[in-house]
Amino acid sequence: MAAMTAARRARPAFGRSLLRLFTVQGSWNYERMQGVGMGVAEEPLLRDLRVAGDGAVYRGAVARGAHFFNAHPYLCGLAVGAAARAEHEGVPPEQVERLRTALCGPLGSLGDRLVWAGWLPFTSGLALIGVALGLGLSAVLGFLVLFNAGHVALRWWALRAGWTHGMRVAVALRQPLLQRATAVSGPAMAFVVGAALPLVAHYLSNGFVGWSRVALAGVAAGGFAVLWWLRARLSGVRLGLALLALATLAGWLWP
Amino acid sequence: MSLGLLLGLLAWGTFVGLDLVSVPQMMIARPLVAGPIAGAMLGDVWTGLSLGVLFELFQYEVLPVGAARYPEYGPATVAAVSVAHAAAGTLGLGLGALVGLISGMAGGVSLHAVRRLNARAVRRATAALEAGDARVLLRLHTKAILRDAVRAALVTALGLGLALLARTYLAGTISVRGVILLDVAAVGAALAVGTAGTLRLVGRGPDLRWFAAGVVSGAAAVWLR
Repeated sequence: MAAMTAARRARPAFGRSLLRLFTVQGSWNYERMQGVGMGVAEEPLLRDLRVAGDGAVYRGAVARGAHFFNAHPYLCGLAVGAAARAEHEGVPPEQVERLRTALCGPLGSLGDRLVWAGWLPFTSGLALIGVALGLGLSAVLGFLVLFNAGHVALRWWALRAGWTHGMRVAVALRQPLLQRATAVSGPAMAFVVGAALPLVAHYLSNGFVGWSRVALAGVAAGGFAVLWWLRARLSGVRLGLALLALATLAGWLWP
Repeated sequence: MSLGLLLGLLAWGTFVGLDLVSVPQMMIARPLVAGPIAGAMLGDVWTGLSLGVLFELFQYEVLPVGAARYPEYGPATVAAVSVAHAAAGTLGLGLGALVGLISGMAGGVSLHAVRRLNARAVRRATAALEAGDARVLLRLHTKAILRDAVRAALVTALGLGLALLARTYLAGTISVRGVILLDVAAVGAALAVGTAGTLRLVGRGPDLRWFAAGVVSGAAAVWLR
């Protein structure tokens, strides 16, 4: 009953907590990683604990909220909501800490698959196709709107689900919609980016004629082979700079 | 380029740099967004789109997981567009890529430096944080965001400075063939990095078939056009 009352009282702080979640990586560092940002996002949900224990409960919860944490930034709300709910329910501090620690891995892995390796390249690939087909700025605007519709919805869902489930937050991660989205995002991304690559190659090589087209095909194929072969040692930016340096040298030798 | 326009590009690059990690992570930092807007500010959306697409391919290699270090292509694309616009014509892509890749590397190094500074600040505030002082927590977080804003501004300024140097000392000295070679290197590298980066995401599992089907569909679309 006490927990339900607390839950009802904390509800108005969801908006503030969500807004702060958009800055969750603002103080990213090698000590606590996202910890400080997590504490900042959780703090509004803890404010009605200030009256309990002469503020000691609140201060203890704020301190725990800022401890080490690292997961996908869009899913941090799940841990914020769950930890805040657990603090309201008077769960022992060591259990709250264990919950936060246990969530790092699954939230990181899920977010990486769903967003970094799924939704983001998928929407970006669609935008690349749009630009290559001549949609111009509309494709860019479409990317921003579409990507962020999913992004904001995910952040909001995560915070609400965390608060709803508290210590049993693992239930939220087994949601059928989330499972299906994770399963579909990989193939969808692969198909869309695969389709974007030839279109973009055509778009960027429009100004090339004669020998330069052959040279472009050679550089792209050779560059890919070198990157694949030396993938543990060579980054794209280094390959790009090396090729540009070679091109400058060749341009001086063969004016 | 007028001072007002330069300051506008600096402000845009700073916002773009801040979006990458700190706030609001809405993918304004993607080259595909940063480039065309910079192009629109310069009255040259086409150059902005071309360099946006080029650096978006480089971005496919980046997977911002945990403490991974990676180049920062947002402010770099803004600088690249500024040099490519001034260079005009076909010279733009190669010269823009050169300035952009150097700025991107500098951006990556600066991110690492800011994270170390943040760690130092957290260490200094440990006692207050462990005491649950919410004011210290908020101040620490706000200062870290401001630190990142200053970092993004410096990286953009460096990129715009490099752009100015490239315009002044390189643009007039490269032969036509040299220009084409630079463009070939820039576009070829971008296509290689984009393909390799995507294949790393796709892996060797069943998604590889979807990727192959996508490539065939894209190639068919090019042929039909």
